Amino acid sequence: MIPASPPPARQNDVWQRWAGTPVTALISALSAAFAIWAAWAVLDWAVLSATLPHRPMQACAETDGACWRFYVEKSRFMLFGTYPYAEHWRPALVSLLLLALSGIVGLRITGRLRVIGPRVLVALWILVIPLAFALMGGGWAGLAPVDMSRWNGLPVLLILSVIAIALAFPLGVMLAVLRYQDRWPVLRRAATVYIEAVRGVPMVTVLFVGVFVLPLTLPPDTRISPVLATLIALVFFHASYFAEDVRGGLQSLPDTQAEAAHSLGLNWGQAMRLVLLPQALSRSLPALVNSVIGAYKDTSLVVVLGIHDLTSTARMAFSEPGWGQYALEAYAFVGIWFLLSCAFLSWVGRELHRGQSGRNH
Amino acid sequence: MMQDFRSQIDGKRPDWLGIGVVGLVLAGVGVLIVNIFVNMQAAGMTPGYGFLAQTAGFDLSESLIPYTAGDSYGRVIVAGLLNTILLAVVSLMLATFVGVMMGLVSVTPSPAGRMVATLYVELFRNLPKILVLLVLYVLAVRGLPPSREALSLGPVYLSNRSIYIPTIVPDAGQVWLLAPLAASALAAVWWVRRARRIKAATGRESPVAIIVIALLLCVPLGFALLADVPLEISAPSFERFDYEGGARLSVQFLVVMLTLGLYHGAQIAEVVRGGILAVPSGQVEGALALGLSRGHVTRFVVLPQVLRIVIPPMINQFVNLIKNTSIAIAVGYSDLMSVSGTIINQTFRPLEMMLVTMGLYLGLSLIASTLMNRLNDTLRSRGARRGS
Repeated sequence: MIPASPPPARQNDVWQRWAGTPVTALISALSAAFAIWAAWAVLDWAVLSATLPHRPMQACAETDGACWRFYVEKSRFMLFGTYPYAEHWRPALVSLLLLALSGIVGLRITGRLRVIGPRVLVALWILVIPLAFALMGGGWAGLAPVDMSRWNGLPVLLILSVIAIALAFPLGVMLAVLRYQDRWPVLRRAATVYIEAVRGVPMVTVLFVGVFVLPLTLPPDTRISPVLATLIALVFFHASYFAEDVRGGLQSLPDTQAEAAHSLGLNWGQAMRLVLLPQALSRSLPALVNSVIGAYKDTSLVVVLGIHDLTSTARMAFSEPGWGQYALEAYAFVGIWFLLSCAFLSWVGRELHRGQSGRNH
Repeated sequence: MMQDFRSQIDGKRPDWLGIGVVGLVLAGVGVLIVNIFVNMQAAGMTPGYGFLAQTAGFDLSESLIPYTAGDSYGRVIVAGLLNTILLAVVSLMLATFVGVMMGLVSVTPSPAGRMVATLYVELFRNLPKILVLLVLYVLAVRGLPPSREALSLGPVYLSNRSIYIPTIVPDAGQVWLLAPLAASALAAVWWVRRARRIKAATGRESPVAIIVIALLLCVPLGFALLADVPLEISAPSFERFDYEGGARLSVQFLVVMLTLGLYHGAQIAEVVRGGILAVPSGQVEGALALGLSRGHVTRFVVLPQVLRIVIPPMINQFVNLIKNTSIAIAVGYSDLMSVSGTIINQTFRPLEMMLVTMGLYLGLSLIASTLMNRLNDTLRSRGARRGS
């Protein structure tokens, strides 16, 4: 069959869209002016008046543009901070491992990499999380021990985001099930109170509780490093957000699913594990990805506690005397890192939305 | 809801498992609390709130209530809480304005407008708010002139440390303004009711907005002029070292406000865009076919439906914004969180202070969400009564 030919293009279409009404024309003019100004400002800063990387640092002082030499001098510091220089391969390897595992999970939930089953994934997490800590900390197989206070930069950001999210997820699912069920009303009430209380306070307060109150609750003469305390606080914080997402998925299931499972003779646990949760989880994935993006971005709030994640090492990089004028270069580095990594997460979210609407209609 | 069929057959039994588990968790928390007591006793302290009456001894960059370093910790906390509320209210207005504007721009036919709106939303959705805050802070401190050469925007002056705005000098005589204000408010209510009655009876529209604004503005102003109520305006002017007169807001306040306005503005823009796109195009076409004008289509057909979709996620945004004011601690604006951080450092009473701080934040977000949900319910029930 011959496809129908498209309608002829209207002559004034472009004009109509750009300036069909006075308001549209005004918006077009303002937006175009702003876009050109912003693009010019970025281009001018990053390229035209910038100092290229082969020029010495002294040349940077003379222009207002970006100093590319700054990245040559400071990239490694911003990535790994004060971690012993000779051992930088260890945080690099940890970062790569965590990034690769996150990437695999992201691809897997969009329906790619089907060869890796859920069990393998869980096994990988159980393997990688202790391995990350062991590699960073050292003290075995000839690796020099490195104190947690010297864990800086990208690996800390990834430990506090990726590992916190991975550990918070099972806790969140458990809380969601507890709040959803009505077999144990006391547990249901307790889960509700916990979730609502944590969601009602800012993340900074929870981090403060982790860093300042948690060490006090330990028996005398025991210590906990701020990174670990923050990690624990983040797990408990993120879990309540994940719980609400999963509960949304559970509530969207029709009652007949539970009824059918029971009439087949499945007990409560089997019905939950085999029938309800798998469906609820796949329904709540888009909301979960949104929460993960939020949790990942908010991880940089640990700056206020003096924990040196990527944002904080970037700030350290220009805080030394003589480097103060390169703040924008340092923050641009962090900004581009977040834009790239969030772009991947957003892509996962969009794929999920597409998959879901394709499945439902 | 996952029904538990067995309990329906057996009848209600106490939830022994739940009681046991919650009891165990509480026992664990109890052990931790005992540890806190032991640890604090070892440091020679007993947990308690007696310290709130002690002298704080640190200054605030700004405060809505009179405050000096000699005041108590309790008063510092109140000052911090008021600063948080001020920051939240101002940022909320800014975020709503920016968000609604960008949301509207993102659905215009103009390709340039759409591109700018999309770029704005994507940029701020993919950057951490703390990074936005730190960058804006660096830009403000570096880009703005020192207070000696402050930028002048009319009577407002902007320097890299503060923003100076003109204010009305408070005076006891201004209390008399309350009388004409109350009278004109009553008159405005009466006028609105009358307009509604006329509309219901005859269908005729009478001007409402203009009359109400005129009543509320002109009557008290006229009264002030006639009765000679003192309304002296204090404008900032540069004296020997700094600006005198008017009110001063720190550049930290300005930067946090901008950050929250832009960050939440991007999310509100998405909400508004989604709400507008969710109205089926058939609604607009149908209304146009009935002969409604463009303006009436927007006012009576599109807007009521958009509001209905948009208000619940907006309430969510507002509550999130209130919680996010706590990032102000990163630049040292004296909000509740940074005040309590300072107190923790000084007194080393993290448990007591965090309980107070979290309680206050929880209270703030609960009050805000309850108020806004009630407002939403009223709007909805009124809409339902009118049959829209």
